Amino acid sequence: MRLWRQGEGDRSAREAQILGWLFVVPAVAVVGALILYPLVTGFKQSIRSGGFLFGEKPGYVGLRNYRDVIHDPTSQSAMRHTVEYVLVAVSLEILLGIAVAVTLHRVFRGRGFVLAVLILPWALPSVVSGVLWRRVFDPDNGMLNSVLLQLHVISQPHVWLASGRGAIIYITLVHVWGVLPLISLIFLAGLQSIPEEVYSASAVDGAGPWRQFRYVTLPLLRPSVAIALTVGTLLAISIFDEIYVLNGTALNTRSILIQVYNTTFVTADFAHGTALAFLLAAVTAAFGAIYALALRRATV
Amino acid sequence: MSGTITLESVTKHFPGGVVAVNDLSLEVQPGEFLVLVGPSGCGKTTALRMVAGLEEVTSGQIRINDRIVTRLPPRDRDIAMVFQNYALYAHMTVRNNMAFGLKMARMPKQEIRSRVDEAAAMLGLDDLLNRKPRQLSGGQRQRVAMGRAIVREPAAFLMDEPLSNLDAKLRVEMRGEIIRVQRRIAAPTLYVTHDQTEAMTMGDRVAILRDGLLQQLGTPDEVYDRPVNAFVAGFIGSPSMNLVPATLERAGDGLAVAFAGARIPLPAEALSGRPDLAGQAGRPLTVGLRPEDFGRPGGAEVEVEVTRLESLGSELVAYLTPAGTQDGPLLTARLDRGETLVQGETARVTVDARRLYFFDAETGAALGSGGTPG
Amino acid sequence: MITTPGMRVAKIVAIVLIVVWSVGPIVLGVTTSISTQREVNSIPSHWVPRNPTLQAYRDLLNGSTGQTTGGTVTRGGDFVHAMTNSAEIALGAAALTLIVSTMAAYALGRLRFRLSGAVLALLIGTLVIPIFVIVIGLFQVMANAQLIDTKRGLILVFVATQSPLATWLLYAQVREMPHEPEEAALIDGCRRWQAFVRVVVPQMSSGIAAVAAIIVLSVWGEFLIPLLLTSTMSAKPVTVLITEYVGKYTTNYPILAAAGVLALIPPAVLALVLNKRITGMLAGSS
Repeated sequence: MRLWRQGEGDRSAREAQILGWLFVVPAVAVVGALILYPLVTGFKQSIRSGGFLFGEKPGYVGLRNYRDVIHDPTSQSAMRHTVEYVLVAVSLEILLGIAVAVTLHRVFRGRGFVLAVLILPWALPSVVSGVLWRRVFDPDNGMLNSVLLQLHVISQPHVWLASGRGAIIYITLVHVWGVLPLISLIFLAGLQSIPEEVYSASAVDGAGPWRQFRYVTLPLLRPSVAIALTVGTLLAISIFDEIYVLNGTALNTRSILIQVYNTTFVTADFAHGTALAFLLAAVTAAFGAIYALALRRATV
Repeated sequence: MSGTITLESVTKHFPGGVVAVNDLSLEVQPGEFLVLVGPSGCGKTTALRMVAGLEEVTSGQIRINDRIVTRLPPRDRDIAMVFQNYALYAHMTVRNNMAFGLKMARMPKQEIRSRVDEAAAMLGLDDLLNRKPRQLSGGQRQRVAMGRAIVREPAAFLMDEPLSNLDAKLRVEMRGEIIRVQRRIAAPTLYVTHDQTEAMTMGDRVAILRDGLLQQLGTPDEVYDRPVNAFVAGFIGSPSMNLVPATLERAGDGLAVAFAGARIPLPAEALSGRPDLAGQAGRPLTVGLRPEDFGRPGGAEVEVEVTRLESLGSELVAYLTPAGTQDGPLLTARLDRGETLVQGETARVTVDARRLYFFDAETGAALGSGGTPG
Repeated sequence: MITTPGMRVAKIVAIVLIVVWSVGPIVLGVTTSISTQREVNSIPSHWVPRNPTLQAYRDLLNGSTGQTTGGTVTRGGDFVHAMTNSAEIALGAAALTLIVSTMAAYALGRLRFRLSGAVLALLIGTLVIPIFVIVIGLFQVMANAQLIDTKRGLILVFVATQSPLATWLLYAQVREMPHEPEEAALIDGCRRWQAFVRVVVPQMSSGIAAVAAIIVLSVWGEFLIPLLLTSTMSAKPVTVLITEYVGKYTTNYPILAAAGVLALIPPAVLALVLNKRITGMLAGSS
């Protein structure tokens, strides 16, 4: 490769060449030192023994840590929980996201205000969302129990976050609260890209609102659905903050990332912690790839 | 009178093998307004950008005021440029837009102020100095772009289609304005446009470019009266010159040109200036007729069918086919509005045979010299 | 569109539900924060306090003991300290990220230098690396550099995590920007970097503002990274401090809500003020 693009010794070309490098060096340096390098050292740890802490000599152990983690019952349950988080979160986000977008798509008075309010939950720290929702789920005097008791749906207070699957649904709800604005905006942008003429044409063809939605809107929203699936999955698969605030590291709601945190920073088992993290990253990458393909097919 | 802009064998290759400008040589004389004109994609803008230093030169040399600037960055070339979309600094006031170049040159504040005020007065911008570009109309932005160029008192002016974003009326107005300002500044100016009317009305000389190659360089009259080839002949003039396949036949002592069933004897005057034309007898060639050379008294008469008539008020544009031909060439004629032609009927119109142009059928090169003005 | 009365009612109901869903928890947080613990704990709980009080805010800001506040111990000054830490970290990270990313976006979008394609691919490639796989390695890098529990360290980390997205968003903007003003500046006597500073950056200002807002919002909300990389008040942001107020057995809801309300004010204000720009950029980038 030639050093200068054209016109050897051209002063402006040389200036662009040098300036180009000067301008990207800070970004490359900081990303290299604090993302790529830790990525490599982290991976190295995941294929080495845990060390003296576990009465072993440190050394290369291949995929042993990965095998350990896959067979570890606690990690397995964290994986199951994570699947549940993702399934519940993504399906809620898609359904509600489309509903919100369809509602807010057409112009009405006060739409600007509703749109502004809509993004608030996304803007707040997820830790704060957790704090706000805690009082709803409190077993003694939370909103959920009071309302249900007053309506006589339940006869005595329920410890929501202690139950198995239920607790996961409640935590997911808090997660969805923060992510739904983003998903709604994705669908809103998708709806805005559907030309009005398509609706006029289908109305002339005799389609009512529901059939229009079913046979016009939904098929044309497919690219948005693919994007929303990707964004929703990637955010839910690494769920951490909401669980930590609402239920700590309790076993019944533990996600993979909580398990990584617990393994690494509570029990100081870096080897297994990194192995689990890289396992999760591999799954994430696979999902990303699948959705990218789906998106391509939906747009072509 | 100051400097010159000289291009010597300037060539530009783009990656991928496209030759945008091919061996272009020309010189803008002191104080001259030279227009570089051609269809889109002919390389005229690339040529201008090379002079500005915004595009690297593949080979050749560019001199401004006899100083070699081929490899210098734009800031060291002592030039000013007016862009098609004005390229004003959106975040600066009109005054700061005009003062920016002077500030970069570290000129004393007092001097900057007086120069900007002077330029603003010249362009009628006095009341707009504190506005931002987005508060200005298209014509006003154009003036600011001009003002930004002239305050610098550069060795050379470059203008890249500066009028093409304006509406038709304003464009005509600004043509005069730019010429007036350029005459006052008297710096050599290289002006790029695709509009031949602009080229003809504004240029001291006109350079016609096609596919990166210079076709002809001359005064507007020269390129109009003596186009070197069929391309220039067709490009300059509006409506375009009629270019029709024809043959040259011997007719007694002289010659006659035959095309599409019509036969026009060439008068001696038409031949006197072009002795070599006789040698072309019997060979196919292209004959050129300017629309404005129809309907003049004393011309040869041709029978035509009137296909369509367009009245422009001041004149009449007629689209004619020689009578008796099915799908003969459509000839455009600019006629006096008094002419009585009826659409769909045959008529006889005169063609000024002294003003015919002849081109080689294959190369398009002009045969003999062009028609004589008069 | 032809709409039936039934559809109009349904739409109004849906709009009301969206607003209630979006602001309901925030309103609940505000009412809780001005309640006494007694009112919160009464059964059934009082959702709207009968005797509004700012006691929770006083306890939060001035300090309180676990005895009086139901298991939650607050130390005077800590909360304000954490808020200023959060602000310094978010603003510092945003400022540095913008400098780094604007330069990189301009270089990648405009200056065709050697290997620029590779650099772009590298930076955009990092976007797909989940943050959790680097935190463990990152912890050790930071420990070795003695940057654990420092605001400087956190700022650097967030510059690294935010730069790829910021560069990508700004790069898209650079590609759409007209070249001419910049070229006019070069002719007017600027060097490349001067044209960048004096003409390109002002030209990009509205995009830069939107990206700045997105960075501030996401850094303000960061939790896992500061949880791992801070240990004392010298760098602890408000998100980490709040989780410490969550008692193990009983929780003082008014104090927790007061902390939540104060911590959500800066991002909420930012989101409301710049809402059009943020929504535009979010919808456009995904």
